[in-house]
Amino acid sequence: MVLLSITGWVLARFVMHIPDGYLSPSTCAALYAAATPFWYAALKRTRRILNTRTVPLVGLFASFCFVIMLFNLPLPGGTTGHAVGVGIASIVLGPWVSILAISIALLIQALFFGDGGITTFGANCFNMAIAGSLVGYAVYRLFARRAEITSARRVLAAAIAGYSAINFAAFLAAVEFGMQPLLFHTSDGTPLYAPYPLNISIPAMMIGHLTFAGLAELAITAGVVRYLQRADPDLLRLTAPDAPDREETRARDSARPRPALRSLWTLLALALILTPLGILAVGSAWGEWSANDFSDAAVRNQIATASGNHVPPAHAPDGLKHLSLLWRPPVPDYAPAFIKNPYFGYFVSASIGVGVIILFTLLATRLFSAFLNSRVKTSIRPSRRRSHRYIERTAESLLRVLQKTLFAEETTRSPGLLQSCDARVKLAGIGALILSVVFVHRILILAAIFGIAILLAAFSRISLLLLARRIWIPVLAFTGVIAVPALFLVPGKILYQIPLVRWPVTLPGFESACFLMGRAETASSLGLLLVLTTPWNRLLRALRFFGVSPRVVMILEMTYRYIFLLLNTALEMMESRRARLVGDLEPSAERGLVAAMIGVLLDKTLQLSNDVHLAMQARGFRGNIRLLEDLRMRKIDWLQLSAMLTIAWTATWWGR
Amino acid sequence: MESNSETVFDLQNVSYSYENVAALHHVCLQIRRGERVALLGANGSGKSTLIRLMAALSFPTQGKISFFGTEITPSQLENPDFFYSFRRRVSIVFQNPEIQLFNPSVFDEVAFAPLQLGWPKSQIRDRVLEILSAMGIESLRDRPPHRLSGGEQKRVALASVLVLDPEVLLLDEPTAGLDPSSAAQMVALLSSWKGSSKTVIIATHDLDVLEEIADRCCVLDSGHFVADEKPLSLLHNIDLMRRTSLLRPHPHWHDKDYFVPHPHIHEREM
Repeated sequence: MVLLSITGWVLARFVMHIPDGYLSPSTCAALYAAATPFWYAALKRTRRILNTRTVPLVGLFASFCFVIMLFNLPLPGGTTGHAVGVGIASIVLGPWVSILAISIALLIQALFFGDGGITTFGANCFNMAIAGSLVGYAVYRLFARRAEITSARRVLAAAIAGYSAINFAAFLAAVEFGMQPLLFHTSDGTPLYAPYPLNISIPAMMIGHLTFAGLAELAITAGVVRYLQRADPDLLRLTAPDAPDREETRARDSARPRPALRSLWTLLALALILTPLGILAVGSAWGEWSANDFSDAAVRNQIATASGNHVPPAHAPDGLKHLSLLWRPPVPDYAPAFIKNPYFGYFVSASIGVGVIILFTLLATRLFSAFLNSRVKTSIRPSRRRSHRYIERTAESLLRVLQKTLFAEETTRSPGLLQSCDARVKLAGIGALILSVVFVHRILILAAIFGIAILLAAFSRISLLLLARRIWIPVLAFTGVIAVPALFLVPGKILYQIPLVRWPVTLPGFESACFLMGRAETASSLGLLLVLTTPWNRLLRALRFFGVSPRVVMILEMTYRYIFLLLNTALEMMESRRARLVGDLEPSAERGLVAAMIGVLLDKTLQLSNDVHLAMQARGFRGNIRLLEDLRMRKIDWLQLSAMLTIAWTATWWGR
Repeated sequence: MESNSETVFDLQNVSYSYENVAALHHVCLQIRRGERVALLGANGSGKSTLIRLMAALSFPTQGKISFFGTEITPSQLENPDFFYSFRRRVSIVFQNPEIQLFNPSVFDEVAFAPLQLGWPKSQIRDRVLEILSAMGIESLRDRPPHRLSGGEQKRVALASVLVLDPEVLLLDEPTAGLDPSSAAQMVALLSSWKGSSKTVIIATHDLDVLEEIADRCCVLDSGHFVADEKPLSLLHNIDLMRRTSLLRPHPHWHDKDYFVPHPHIHEREM
C-alpha cells in the first residue's frame, strides 16, 4: 500500500511524460500512427487559418507552452504542481494550433531535456497534445456555451476544461501503461515494459491526477482566463464565436464583481469524494486482489475480461500469496460488518485508501521540498517565507534550463568522437540504438548497449560524473521508485524474502524492474549524448533528413530560439516579483499572481509573434518555406552511419 | 502628383492610427534617390510607425504612399512580382534585434532573405560569406543569434539585409542601446554610404552623430510633421528642438566645483 502510494505519487508528478522503455515498440508505433493524422490535419487547418503567420505564431506559442510547463503553482497543503498548459493553449488559439504547439514543446523537451522519451514521443503527444487539446476545447465550448467573454461562467468552463483535459491524458497514459504487462512479457510471464496491470496503473495514476496534478492545470487555466478577461478579452474571442458583442458586454460588465475560485480546498475535497467512485468504475481495486480471488471462478472471469481475455493462472501465484500476508487491510474484504451494502462498504474502503495516498503525497512533498530547499539555498537566495517558494522554484527551473543549454553548447564545441560526426549520422545512429534498447528482451544485451553508451561518452570526452548527475541518479530515483513495488507485486517464483517484514521478492518482479531501469537509464544516456555533442540547430536541421517537413523544422527552430527570450522574460518577472513581495499572500492570491504572470507572458508572446511575422515578411517571406540544406553525405559519414546501424541491429537481433 | 523617377517615396497626406489611437497625422514627405534622411522625434512621436509604413508592413489609414510612382497597397503587394521586387529593393532593420533575428544561426539569418527571393543556392552561399567577412563577423557564422552581444546582434541584423544590396535602407534606431565602441562602428558604417546611390532613412534621437549619418532631417512631434531641415540648421534651431523634446535643459556640472542648474545648449550638442 505504501509502496503503491509512492508509485502513484511519482507517476502523478513525473510520468505525464512517459520515458523510453516504459512502452513496447509496437505500442509506440501504434500511438505514432494514431497521432500522425491529427498532426497532419492540425498542420493543414492551421495553415488555412493562419496562412503566412503559421510559422511565427505556432513557433512562438510552442516556446510559450514550453516555458509555462516550467512554472510552479502553489497547491493546497503546501504542495506545488506543474501544468501542461494544454487548457490555456486550446482556449486561446483553438485545438488545432494547440495540438501543434504542445507537440512541438514536447518534442523540444524530449530531444533536448530528456523529459519524455523519443520512442514514446508519439504516445506523449497523443495523450497530452492531441487528446488533451481536443478534450479541453470541447469541454470549454460545452460549458461556456454562449456566455459573455467576461462572464464567470467562462472561468468555470476553463477550470473544468483544464481539469478534464489533464485527467483524460493521464487516463490514456495509465491505460497504455496497464496494457504492457498483459501484452508484452517473456514466456515465463516477466513483464518486459511497464510492469503494472490496468488495475494498478489506472488507480495509481488517476489518484495523483484527480487530486493534485489536475488541480494545477485547473487553477492555471482558470486563472489565465480570468486574467485575460480583465487585461485582454479579445484574446478569448477566437474560441468564443457565439459570445455577445464587446459593446454590450462592456456596458453590462462595468462594476460587477466576479466570483473567484476561492479555495482549491473545496475542489480537493470534491476530488476526494469522486476519486473512489472513479476507482469503483474501473472494477477491481488496484493491487488488492486477495489470494482467494484466483480460485474463485466468478472473480477469475472478471479478471480475465478486464485483462483482455488473458486467463489468469488457476492458482494464486506464490508471490501473491505472500503478498496477501504482507498487508492486512484495516477493513477486511471491503465490507465492514456494520455496513451490509457491499458498494457502500467498498466505497468507504476506497476512500480510506485514497486518503492514505493523499496523506502520503502531502508528506512526501514536504520531505521532498525540504530536500530541494536545502539544495536551493546554496544557489539561490534562501527564502524565509514558505509561501514564496513556488517563485523561487520556478525561477530555479527556468535557470536550470538556461544552464543546461549553455552547457550543452559548450560541450558541442569541444573535440571528441561524436562531436566530429555529422548530425544526421548521429540522429540516425543514436536513434537506432535507442530503438534497440526498447526492442531487446535480454538484460545482458541491454547492459552491453549501456556499455556502448559509456564508451561513446568516454570517446566524446563527456565525463561519466556528468552522466551520473544528469541521468543515472535522477532516473534511478524516479524510475526506481516506480520499479521497486514491481519486485513484490509481480507474481512468480520467490527469489528472496526481505528479513523481518518477510516481503517476498519474486524473480519475474526483479527482472521486470531491471528491464524498466535498464531501458530508462540507457535510453536517456544515449539521448543526452546526442544533445551534448550536437549543436541544436544542426540537430533540428537533421530532422529534414528523416522526412520531417521543412515547415515543421522551421517552426521547431523558431521555438527553440525564442524559448530563451521567453525564459529570460519570465525570469525577469520572477525577479521583480521577488523584489516586491513583502508579506505573505493568501494561496488563492498567489495562484492569481502566477496566472497573471502567465497571462502577461502570453500577451508578450503574441505581440512578439506579430513582430516576427512582420520581420519575416520584410525579408521576402510569403509563406513558402525555403531552407538552405547541405544534403551531401561524405564517405566517412556513410561509414559511421553504417557502423552505428550495424551495432544497433546486432544488439536487437541478439537480444530477441 | 506626378512622381519623377528619382522620387523613392512619395507620402501624401498620410495618417495612421492603431485601433483608436492616432499615431500619424497628415504627413507629406518626398524622399529622393540617394538621400540620407534622419527621422527625428521623441519617443512615441511616430518615427517607427512611419518607417513601418514605408517598409509596407502596415498601410496608411488615410492618404497614400508611392514607391517610384507605384502606390503601395495591400492588393499591390499580393502581386508576387511587385512583392519580390519591392522586398529586394527596400530593406528594414528593426530596432529590436530579437525580432529581426529569428533564425537558428547567423549564417541562416543572413541567407534568409536571398532564399526567400529565390536566388540560386550556390550564389547564396558565396554572397553570404562575402557579406559576413565584409561586416567582420565571419567568426560568428555558426553561432545562434540569441547568444550574441547587443553590438554583434545589430551587425548581424544589418548584414541580413545588406546581403541583398538594397537600394533603400530603413533603419530604426540603429545606434540605440549600443556601447560607445559598437555605436562608433555603426556610425562609421552609416556614414560610409555618403555620396553613394543608396537611399537611407534612419529613425533616431541621437543628435551627436546627426551630421555624419544624415543630409536631411525630418522632425516628427506627436505624429505631426514639424520640420524638414539640414542637420546643421536643425541643430541651431534650439527652440524647435526643445519644443519637440529632442533637447531638454537640465542641471549639470561644468567644472569640478561648480554646479548650477541652467537651461542652455552646449557647443558639443550643437
